[in-house]
Order: sequence, then C-alpha cells, then structure tokens
Amino acid sequence: MNLETILQKTYGYTSFRPGQKEIIASVLSGKDTVAMLPTGTGKSLCYQLPGYLLEGQVIIISPLLSLMQDQAEQLMLNGEKKVIAFNSFLTHEEKRQSLMNLRRYKFIFISPEMLHFEAVLSQLKKLRIALFVVDEAHCISQWGYDFRPDYLKLGEVRKRLGSPLTLALTATATPAVKEDIKKSLGITEGSEFIYSVDRPNISLSVERLNSYRDKIERLVELAETLEGPGIIYFSSKKIAEQTAELLRDRGVGSVMAYHGGMDQESRILVQQQFIHGQLDLICATSAFGMGINKENIRYVIHFHMPLQIESYLQEIGRAGRDGKKSIAILLFAPGDEQLPYQLAESELPDNVQIDWIKGWLEENPEVMSSLSQYEEQIRQVSGLTDTQWRVFEDFFQRKSSQGIPLGRVVEEIKVYNQKRLESKRQSIEEVYSWISMNVCRREHILSFFKEEKTEAIRNCCDVCGLELNDFTKKNNKENQENLQYDWKNHLDALLIPGE
Amino acid sequence: MESSYLKIVILYCIKELQGQRTIYSILHLLNGKKSSQTIQDAHLFQLTRFFKTFGQLTRSELEQLAAEMENINWISQDENGHFTLSVKGGRYLQSALLEYPIPSSLNGWKYHTSTGVFWERLSLLVQVISHLNYNHAKYLPIQRKRNVLSWLKDFLKTSGADRNELGILLNKELQHCLGSLSDINPAVLTLRLTGYNHIGLTDVQAAKQLGLGQDYYHHQFLGVLHYILECIKHSPSRYPLLGKLVSGSEDSVPLTFSTKKTYSLLNEDFGLDEIARIRNLKRSTIEDHVVEVALNESSFDITPYVANDRQKLILKAANSSESRQLKQIRQLVPEADYFEIRLVLAKFGEEER
Repeated sequence: MNLETILQKTYGYTSFRPGQKEIIASVLSGKDTVAMLPTGTGKSLCYQLPGYLLEGQVIIISPLLSLMQDQAEQLMLNGEKKVIAFNSFLTHEEKRQSLMNLRRYKFIFISPEMLHFEAVLSQLKKLRIALFVVDEAHCISQWGYDFRPDYLKLGEVRKRLGSPLTLALTATATPAVKEDIKKSLGITEGSEFIYSVDRPNISLSVERLNSYRDKIERLVELAETLEGPGIIYFSSKKIAEQTAELLRDRGVGSVMAYHGGMDQESRILVQQQFIHGQLDLICATSAFGMGINKENIRYVIHFHMPLQIESYLQEIGRAGRDGKKSIAILLFAPGDEQLPYQLAESELPDNVQIDWIKGWLEENPEVMSSLSQYEEQIRQVSGLTDTQWRVFEDFFQRKSSQGIPLGRVVEEIKVYNQKRLESKRQSIEEVYSWISMNVCRREHILSFFKEEKTEAIRNCCDVCGLELNDFTKKNNKENQENLQYDWKNHLDALLIPGE
Repeated sequence: MESSYLKIVILYCIKELQGQRTIYSILHLLNGKKSSQTIQDAHLFQLTRFFKTFGQLTRSELEQLAAEMENINWISQDENGHFTLSVKGGRYLQSALLEYPIPSSLNGWKYHTSTGVFWERLSLLVQVISHLNYNHAKYLPIQRKRNVLSWLKDFLKTSGADRNELGILLNKELQHCLGSLSDINPAVLTLRLTGYNHIGLTDVQAAKQLGLGQDYYHHQFLGVLHYILECIKHSPSRYPLLGKLVSGSEDSVPLTFSTKKTYSLLNEDFGLDEIARIRNLKRSTIEDHVVEVALNESSFDITPYVANDRQKLILKAANSSESRQLKQIRQLVPEADYFEIRLVLAKFGEEER
C-alpha cells in the first residue's frame, strides 16, 4: 500500500502537503530526522502516520500543556482511542494507573518535566519505542526564542531509552538553532528536511502610527473593513479584553477576547465559536492559536510588537491555511519598542532577587537538596514569578547536582541571565529593525533564516506595494438575521432527532 | 453600574447581619468559606441561600464596593468596623429589590456542592445527545474534566434508555421543569447549551444578549440550576432522567483529597497516630483532617476523640464565651486541648445558639 492510500484511509485526505511525505518516508526508512515545516502545514501528521505503520509506541515530547492536550484531542477526535497525555493535569492516581499500563497506548504525549521522574523513565524503558518525537524542538536551544530548560535533558533521556528512532519537529529554526537541536539530541547522522518559512499567500504589512490612540482608531477601522475571520494579538490580557469591548461598542460584528485568565469553559466556548464561524474576530494573547485548526483565517493583526521574528511567524502563520490570500498587519507607534524589553526582563530573576535567595539558602542550608519542596517559601522571600522561579530552579538543580558550591552557582546564574537577556534584547532589536527598515519585509525575514526570496509575489508587502482593497469586505451589509430567541425551540432543536 | 446587583446583595446581607459582623463575614459567605464561623453565621442570620454564590469575589473588590456605599451614606461603620444600613440605604434596598429581586430558587448552601457538577454533566449530555441525533461523532467535548467525561461514558452505558429516546426524554423533562419557572427567563440557561453546529454562549455573552448585568445574570443562572435541582429532589418520579445527573454528586462530602484518604483510614479504625505514621504526615495535619470531616459529614461521630462529658464542658464554655475564640474557651476548660475544642465546635457549630 502506498502512503497516499494510507492517508486517504486514515484521514480522508487525498494528497500530502508539501514536505509531509518526504519526512514520513525518511522516518519509515529508519533515519533520525530533523524537520522544519512552517506553521500551519500539518506537522503532527508526520508522526501520526508512521505511528500507525510502525510496531510499538510513539512518544511525543511536547512543551506546552495546552498544545499537548489539543494534539491528543485531535487524535481522539479522529477516532484514535489509544492516546494518553501524560502531564500534570492527571491526578496522582491516574498517573500511577496509566504508568502501569503504558503498553496499552499507541501515542504517549509527555511533558518534559515528567521525564524528571525515575518512575516514569523506567516504565518508558520497558516499552518498545517505535518513534521518539520532539515537538517544538527549537525549545531545546538556549538561543532559540522559546528556550525551555527542561528540554536540555532530552538528549540524556533519549540515550537512556536506547537512542530510539527520533523525529525532531519545529516550525522555525535558524541554522544555528537547527545545529543545536541535533547536538543536544545526539543525532549524528540523520536526514534533514527544511522547508521555507515563507508563506507566499500571506501579505505582510507594517503600519506606523503616531500614538496609542491612533493605533486604536486604526485597529477599529481595520476590524470594520477587513474580510474576516481574523485574530488580533495583544501582549496584555487587559488590553485584549478592553479592545474586544470597544470593538463591540463600535458595532464591529461578533468579537470576543481570549486569554489565559479566562475560565476553562469560556475558553473552550470562545475557541469553538470561532472555529464554527459564530465569531468573526478574536482579541487574543499568545495563549490563543496553538493547535487551532481553522483553515480560513483571513487576517492576523499585531497590536503590540512581538518579541521575536520566530514567534511572529508562528502567529501570523495561523492565517491562510487554506492557501487563499490573507494578510498580516503589525501596528507600530513610537515607544512601542519599550514594552518588549520590559517583558523580556520580567521573565528572568534579577540579581537582587538572586542575592536574596542566596542569603536565605545560607541561613537554611538543609533545604538545598530538595529545593522544589520549598518553592512557596522561596518565592515569597524573593518575589519571583512563576517563570522566573522555573528558570532559577532548573539552573540551580543542574549546577548543584554537579557539586558546585552555592556561591559559584549564584555567580553562574547571574552570568547566564545576563547572556539570556542579551539574546532576548538582540531578538527584539531584530524585530525592531525589521519594522524600521525600508526593504522588502519578506526578503528581510527570509534572510534571517538564510533563505532567499525566489518568486515575485503580488501584494508581497507594504514596501513592495500592497493593495489593501484586496483584503476588505466585499459586501458591507451582512444580512444579520435577528431571529427572536425562543428557549423552547432551542431545546427542541438540540434534543429532538431530526426528521 | 456594573456591580449594582452585587451591591444590593451586600446591602441585604448588611441589613440581616444587624451590625454584628464585619463585611469580611459577607466575603466568606459569598466565597463559600468552609469554616464553622461562616457556616454558623449563614444559618444564624438566615443568609444560607447566598453561600458560595460569588466564589470569585475578592477582598479588595468587596472593600471597594463597601467604600462606595459608605460614601453615599447607604451604610455606616461603627468603631468595631461593623456596618449598618442607614435609612437612606434601607430605602434604596427596598426599591432595588423590587427591580432586581433575588431569584427565589437560589439556595447556595443546599446545592453548593452539586451545582457545578450538575451543570457540567447537563451541558455535556446535551452536546452528546445533539451530536448523536445528527450521527456526528467528531467534535470536541465542551467539558474537559475527566470525571465528567467518564461519568458520561458510564451514563450512556447504564442509562437503560434507547439512544434515540434519550433526547426526547431529556427535552420533555427540561421543558416541563423550566416551563414552570416563574421569576427567571429559562433562556438564562438554554443560551449556554452547545449542540451540533451550534456552540453555546459564555456567561458574559449570555448576560449581554439578555441585557443583564454580569452579577445579576450569575445569580439567575445559579437560580435556574438550583430550581432544577429542587424539582428533582421534590418530585423524583417526574424527572427520572435528570435525577440520574445528580446521583453521586449531591451527598458526596466535598472533602479535600488528602482528607479523604485520612477519612477512609479512620473508617478502618486506625488511630490518629497510626494514620500519621502510615501516611507519613504530622499528627497535627491528621487532626486538621478530622476537623474537616466533622465540619462536612453530619453523621461523623466524634466521641472516639472527645469523650461525651468533655464535649458538654466545651460546648458550655463556648456558649458562655463571647468571641468563641479557642483561647478563651481553653481557659474555661483547661483540661481540653485545642484539637478537642475545634472538633466540638466543628461538630456542633451549627446547631447551638
């Protein structure tokens, strides 16, 4: 049976998207594979399909709980029952239960922090691992835009599992990050598949405005005129919420906010309303979008400046998955570049905080061996945020387990932080220069990934020339049926089987 | 005036508390704090229906609302920080309650443990039935909690009803029950329901569509759910299907996970020190668990831990001491330890007075 037949049988698709078939074939031929496929082109198929053809379990390491949950659910939605997402959502008992029965599953999603546990590792070792998948593999690189300390241990984990066949997947990786991925995972020989980060059907535009107020006005105007559905990204939950409210007040169709501060039920409802076309526009933070399969998103607007080119590409990549023309617009006003710097700094513990912790640890030396148990107390003393604590704890554990004395660990943390901050600053400067320079936006981004623009694209970007009219609503008046809501009819429609 | 309804509720509570408590007792009441003091107050001042009906209200929000009402002389504060209603506030409350009556079915204390689960099960069941009706199997469940999902699996297996009949039955029961609601529009609930090709509204959207403030909408939503729960309790034979949505949730004691473990060991007749050893916890932690059980499980017998005579002494001391502080009671019954005093207060906190 050829791959297309299997694809048709399992998923009902008739053809692969660019790259998928080559990557799957490489995996099936038993080669460790590093693959870079742009966002929105079906990365998960690259491990799902081989999973059905190979004997044994597929282990998928995934950095974000929500992403993992989404992918597991997508599989289940497709009728696959042997799926488990092994993460901190499970209760202790559920974890124990499923650990004992890992063999029953085909697809095992695991968060990297779960791999810290010896009990988990030893159960994994007993399996016949068909494929070891590292999703969002760029998180492994300290110089990647989304570095996760937990990912650093994956190389060692892989070795302890007997170096199983490995597939590392990412959407965005510069050549340096790609090399880092291979080195960290211990992949010496293997195949690489790099597909262009370019999405020719997405036009790129930066609009410079004079002030925050102007940005808001322009945003309202765009939301009124652009053909939806669309997403507007914000760096702040509060502003996302306020803007959604403002847009509703101004009569801009069906708009809702989406951010991590909302309760789970509302988040699910808003996401599903958007997918089902009941909502036209989402005012979101970066919490929105991972794993959302919506093909017809026509525009993505950034109200705040992104922190890295890579995350920007991820977010705008949610537009135009159906291949039709779409647009990404970034709104920029002088002074906007300050916010990313503040955000970047707030993610790392500062030197004063580190010294406080040092002082506290010197007074309480007995806690050093089991730092994580004292998280609450230490965070109270030092005022570290969640992210800051994770960065600190991980570094501390790694270093002190090597027997390095406290004083030196602390000095190393400070140096390391400084480097991380430098790297983040550099990323922000790259975005800033992308915004400021008057060269083709697409060429500029491609050069960042050591690629070149190969074809002329209509409506390429605001520098090359862009006809915004191509993206506006054609028939302005939507005939919105305003039917009287009748709860009895609604219940009937929901519950009575159709004729 | 987004919080105007919440203000009415607070004014109402202040009125009923008759200047005998601080506003923080209102916070604990609305948040549903499981302390003997809060539970006791709710009963004493007949405010049980509000128990845990604004679980998310924060201290600072309440302080802010109280300050606003103090500024316009609806309420005033005495030297103990206790608020009382002014004549002006009283008049406002009276007229406001005519415009925004508190849903008559609201019963926080009685249903606070079952409301959430009931809604999760109902909304999921409706979604599942609707998709079954359309023979559509690929959709994301609107509820994600594992216990709700596994409840539904069991339910479909064991309900006994034919799959095609389920929707008809549920529809009949819901129509009947909601149709008899007098003071709340059933749309408050039905707008939130999800089915095939139709995703339900969030609470914010439903409130907007109905032109209600968020707070008032929230109480009405709880009011509808409590109404259904009351119907089920009152005439179970009329609502056989809805009744199955409640089973297992209504009388389950809302104990914390760790307390449950301790409780099951208690039921196997292990002593407190033994349990502490088995669970590798401090004795004081085990004692906390026992107090939690006593607070929640009315049939729990405390005589193995406090002899009857001593219970009486402690109760007597508690009644004669004004503040009910453990320290004061201990001075009156020096032979009792704090664990015994807490246990007796937890057990009898509600009934005496």
